[in-house]
Amino acid sequence: MTDGPGTGAAAAVEHYVSTEPFDPRAIEALSPEQERYYLASQWRLMWWKLKRHRLAVISGGFLLVMYASILVSEVLAPYNLHTRHVDSIYAPPQSIHLFDRGRFVGPFVYGTTYRLNMENLKREYTENTKEVYPLHFFCSGDSYDFWGLTTARLHVVCPAAGGTLFILGTDRLGRDVLSRIIYGARISLTIGLIGITISFVLGMTIGGVAGYYGGWVDMIVQRLIEILQSFPQIPLWMALSAVLPVTWSPILIYFGITVILAMIDWTGLARAVRSKLLALREEEYCMAAQLMGARPGRIIGRHLMPGFMSHLIASATLSIPTMILGETALSFLGIGLRPPITSWGVLLSEAQNINVVALYPWLILPAVPVVLIILAFSFFGDGLRDAADPYK
Amino acid sequence: MKRARALIAAAVVLAWAFVPASAARPAKLLEPFFLDDPVAAGDLPPVRERVPETPSIVTLNGTGQSLGRYGGDLRLLMGKPKDVRMMMVYGYARLVAYNTRLEIVPDILERLDVREGREFTLRLRKGHRWSDGHPFTAEDFRYYWEDVAGNAELSPFGLTKVLLIDGEPPRFEVLDKTTVRYTWSRPNPYFMPALAAAAPLFIYRPAHYLKRFHVRYTDPAMLRRQVRDAGMRNWAVLHASKDRQYRSDSPRLPTLQPWVNTTRPPSERFIFTRNPYYHRIDTAGRQLPYIDRVIISLGSNRMIPAKTGAGDADLQARYLRFDNYTFLKEGEKRNGFTVRLWRTAKGAQKALYPNLNATDPVWRAVLRDVRFRRALSLAIDRHEINQVVYFGLARESANTVLPESPLYRAQYQTAWSQFDVERANALLDDMGLTKRTSDGIRLLPDGRPLNIIVDSAGESTEETDILELIHDSWLKAGIKLYSKPAQREVFRRRIFSGQTVMSVWAGFANGIPGPDMSPEEFAPTTKHQLHWPKWGQYAETGGRAGEPPDMAPARELMRLNTAWRRATSGAERERIWRRILEIHAEQVFTIGIVNGTLQPVVINNRLRNVPAEGVYAWNPGAYFGIYKPDTFWFAGR
Amino acid sequence: MIGYVVHRLLIMIPTLLAISLIVFVIIELPPGDYLESYVAELESQGESVDPKEIEFLRTQYGFDKPAHQRYLHWLVGMVQGDFGYSFEYRLPVSEVVGDRLVLTILISIATILFTWIIAFPIGLYSATHQYSWGDYGLTFIGLVGLATPNFLLALILLYLANVVFGTSIGGLMDPQYLDQPWSLDKVLSVLAHLWIPVVVIGTSGTAAMIRRLRANLLDELQKQYVVTARAKGLPQFRLLIKYPLRMAINFFVADIGSLLPSIISGAELVAIVLSLPTTGPILIAALQSQDMYLAGSFLMFLATLTVVGVLISDLALAALDPRIRLQGGSTR
Repeated sequence: MTDGPGTGAAAAVEHYVSTEPFDPRAIEALSPEQERYYLASQWRLMWWKLKRHRLAVISGGFLLVMYASILVSEVLAPYNLHTRHVDSIYAPPQSIHLFDRGRFVGPFVYGTTYRLNMENLKREYTENTKEVYPLHFFCSGDSYDFWGLTTARLHVVCPAAGGTLFILGTDRLGRDVLSRIIYGARISLTIGLIGITISFVLGMTIGGVAGYYGGWVDMIVQRLIEILQSFPQIPLWMALSAVLPVTWSPILIYFGITVILAMIDWTGLARAVRSKLLALREEEYCMAAQLMGARPGRIIGRHLMPGFMSHLIASATLSIPTMILGETALSFLGIGLRPPITSWGVLLSEAQNINVVALYPWLILPAVPVVLIILAFSFFGDGLRDAADPYK
Repeated sequence: MKRARALIAAAVVLAWAFVPASAARPAKLLEPFFLDDPVAAGDLPPVRERVPETPSIVTLNGTGQSLGRYGGDLRLLMGKPKDVRMMMVYGYARLVAYNTRLEIVPDILERLDVREGREFTLRLRKGHRWSDGHPFTAEDFRYYWEDVAGNAELSPFGLTKVLLIDGEPPRFEVLDKTTVRYTWSRPNPYFMPALAAAAPLFIYRPAHYLKRFHVRYTDPAMLRRQVRDAGMRNWAVLHASKDRQYRSDSPRLPTLQPWVNTTRPPSERFIFTRNPYYHRIDTAGRQLPYIDRVIISLGSNRMIPAKTGAGDADLQARYLRFDNYTFLKEGEKRNGFTVRLWRTAKGAQKALYPNLNATDPVWRAVLRDVRFRRALSLAIDRHEINQVVYFGLARESANTVLPESPLYRAQYQTAWSQFDVERANALLDDMGLTKRTSDGIRLLPDGRPLNIIVDSAGESTEETDILELIHDSWLKAGIKLYSKPAQREVFRRRIFSGQTVMSVWAGFANGIPGPDMSPEEFAPTTKHQLHWPKWGQYAETGGRAGEPPDMAPARELMRLNTAWRRATSGAERERIWRRILEIHAEQVFTIGIVNGTLQPVVINNRLRNVPAEGVYAWNPGAYFGIYKPDTFWFAGR
Repeated sequence: MIGYVVHRLLIMIPTLLAISLIVFVIIELPPGDYLESYVAELESQGESVDPKEIEFLRTQYGFDKPAHQRYLHWLVGMVQGDFGYSFEYRLPVSEVVGDRLVLTILISIATILFTWIIAFPIGLYSATHQYSWGDYGLTFIGLVGLATPNFLLALILLYLANVVFGTSIGGLMDPQYLDQPWSLDKVLSVLAHLWIPVVVIGTSGTAAMIRRLRANLLDELQKQYVVTARAKGLPQFRLLIKYPLRMAINFFVADIGSLLPSIISGAELVAIVLSLPTTGPILIAALQSQDMYLAGSFLMFLATLTVVGVLISDLALAALDPRIRLQGGSTR
């Protein structure tokens, strides 16, 4: 090869002119995917980004399922919330078998025999492999009142006639722990959601006002936040819960407690809103809106908030776990929800004694859904936040 | 005169119950090793100079009792700092004290003579000394009477109720250095039980110590300086803060109890050491207590069962609950203790209190109808509750006296307390409460559904569990129960103001009364009574506040209570008691569930002289006090 | 800068006054007062109290005075260094709290060190390996600590420690070492007990710490100077240590404000379960029994610490970060 680039350059080159029509914007032309990407709304972008965070998607799905389940708790739970089994007090979890002595029967549980050990007053249960109770699915069991609409008996799973089905054991009155957990989800899951909504509204309004107006309004709000944050949480909870009127019905108390949790939670959010607004209100588009005579409420709500709404929602998601844990802590102190209301916090505070840890460990199981929900919310919130961040 | 002698016999056994009257002081007294050093160093006189000339001699010849030996530390667990007062309860050295047969006998006193139930002559033991070695004399009684109770600044609200009969104080005389006398113009049956109570009436003070803080005995300038240094408001507050015999947390305050506090609060651990001047000895010449030190560790009370199970206590019942039994049993072998079950002595472990002073006129009328209260009681399945919550070991009973009481009759226990839904329904129908909602809940006369909201202090799952069980059986009688937990103060306020229709609480505090114990709990007497707070307040304030009882049986109870106080013979008192108990059985003012429940008592295997079976009662009983913890001792390993 | 400090100091005065008022309201809000709860508590144990004694105590403690008088009395006392009187302990508040402060601080510092030691490497790793399985796994472990209700974890660990290692239940040392002079055995005993609260309280804080460190680091790692440094071939580890980490540490300093009160009050619920001799359980018990001056003065103390802490952290930030120092403005 003697022909080098040099020789080629030296040779006369034919002047090339493209005959194709000139389009100066060709370089900016977008492929359909790019176009889709650039035209997508902020929310759609978030969704695409979120999808890349595998755990967040899984967590989100899990949360959806959990929240859907509280709509049909009655059907999911094998027993009614209040059904007691005097013969099965502190019964340990029954394991589900498929094969009985090598013969396939489908899912079933063995019967149990109960003996009260008078020596140490222990209720002892032994599996009785002679009795086989196959599980029934979509069957008729304890009757319940479905959302105040109708009385029904349909359950996803119920024990065979004469048998019991305590997948997670029973408590000191012989109530099925699994059913109680399923019913408890109703209170515990919504308390976080309602609470966060309240604290969100509070945080946005107060933070928004402080950030937009600045000056002495900001000064007062700043001090208020500083003061609220300077207290340990628990005394504040205790003081606020003491104000709840004792004449309130359980539902109102439940609502009051969510408000209490929210009252203490909003400060962080308000602070975030405030600092963002302080920066954003100096932007030209805000000035423009002001000159066109928009009212402060509109400027904040229409022009400023959407800019970082996604971010706020993400951080709100992250504080739901605090609320759920807060509920358990309140129950521990005896100032939160109390039986007969059933929430995970109530179940856990009932499990809070040495007897349970040493003798009836299955009563600690309500901690499992608490941990799972909090994990799910945390991962989901992390994913949301990463997705909402315009820099990544 | 004959009547007087009967009274003495009834109220006081003059000689020490365990001892023949002639038992003399043993010739030789044995010095506790614990005190060898101070005695050798001359800081403490030898034992024969320390015990009174006529000590109280305890014979240990009951079943399982034995003479002990000196030494050892008794470890107790308590929850709050003020629980240290339990040492005053467990120690149970009183002027006069209950013995295990619940008779009142002299203890710190050498003897107590009673004339006509109104003149009490107290004779102290010669040579008896406070724990700091200062003589315990009539001066200590005079100081209380004149300078504490009689001082307008220290006692601005006058004498305590027990010392006033019809508003009249006693005449107090010092007869000689070791004899004092209290005389009322009418009998005072409350006096001796108050002296023997678990939380006793202290009619004496360590005068030599307290005079330092009393304006009458101390230079005002110096006192002012002390008040200022302590950051107190005035000398009375300072004096009151030093004068806390019951609380027993001050290491400086001299005492007559078997053990003396040596730890200055605040602390996590209080160490009580033996009182070198204690007045009881055993027949072998050992000065009691046998155990040298009692060590109280404070910690969160919900962890006490766990700590006890881990072997951190030698004698523990406080903060242990019946449902801890199984757990405690598991630790027995590993940690060298035994769990015993003692009977409790409350009239009912839990009882429902219909509020007869409820403000709602419809409810009030319904609750005051005896048929309603009877129906509620009949519609409770006590057997099921007993099985579920108490393993069937409790006694299904109305809220009344226990079989351990000499006043017990089966009919008090069983009246209206047998589960009988049919009869309950019949009673309710008879009242005219026949209309029902579609769910089968009866309607009140004004058309509201019969939803009874039961307030609870909600501290234990026991209460909520029992209420849940009652809920189910009441449904069968067409009554719906809602339970409503509230904090203790709120709970009391609501009841007192009449907002509460019904509440749940423990039954009568003393379920084992004898005829000579006051029946005041059974009649309207204080505003703390949950079924008739307003009537109680009326009686308590002498009519200045509250409402006069307007139900005939309640008025009769009040009359009977007064009659009991005026009664002069034991037989008359017993008759009055019986009438009171009958009224309660028939009227079902309170609805007892079960009584005689069991209290786990954890006892170190080396600890001797603790009875295997006992009654765990506050008053009379002082929990362990009545079993004389000063005679408990540790055997070798 | 001096003007800024003076301004911040002046603004503390109305803030503290407002806090004192809120504290007073907090302790007055629950219905009833100490004596009522005292009577109710004794009654619940079967003891009765002579109403005359209660009346005497009522006047002694000044409960018969109107609320504003009590507030002023308390406020004036505090300014003079008199924190009032604890009814429950029947001792001056300063004596009740004093002893426990040392142990509380010990536990808190151990916990914070534990948290940092765990959180730092995990945070670093997570930020540099975003979305890797390692990132997921480690965050997961951190979050499990956050998600488990502390009081339950404490109880379980306590029981297991007793059954497996024979550690005595609750407290900070075996009982025989209480009130004893410090010795090697005592130190060992304290260490044997200390790990449970440290782990329990620590794990709950770790997750938050990891998350914040990770987020801050991620922000820094995007910056131009990091890209430049990387382009110039700086080794990965040195690159990380040199600037981004230092920047990320700023938020630890900013944390001092909220850290101080938690050092003092400790984790109340865990301390209750573990019977720790710290101040947290005292505070809760005081609030529950409405021992108002103990609760009030203690809350006031904590709030003051926070306010001072925020000030310190602002000043420290200003000192650490030249940008803030030169602008001389608030960082918040």
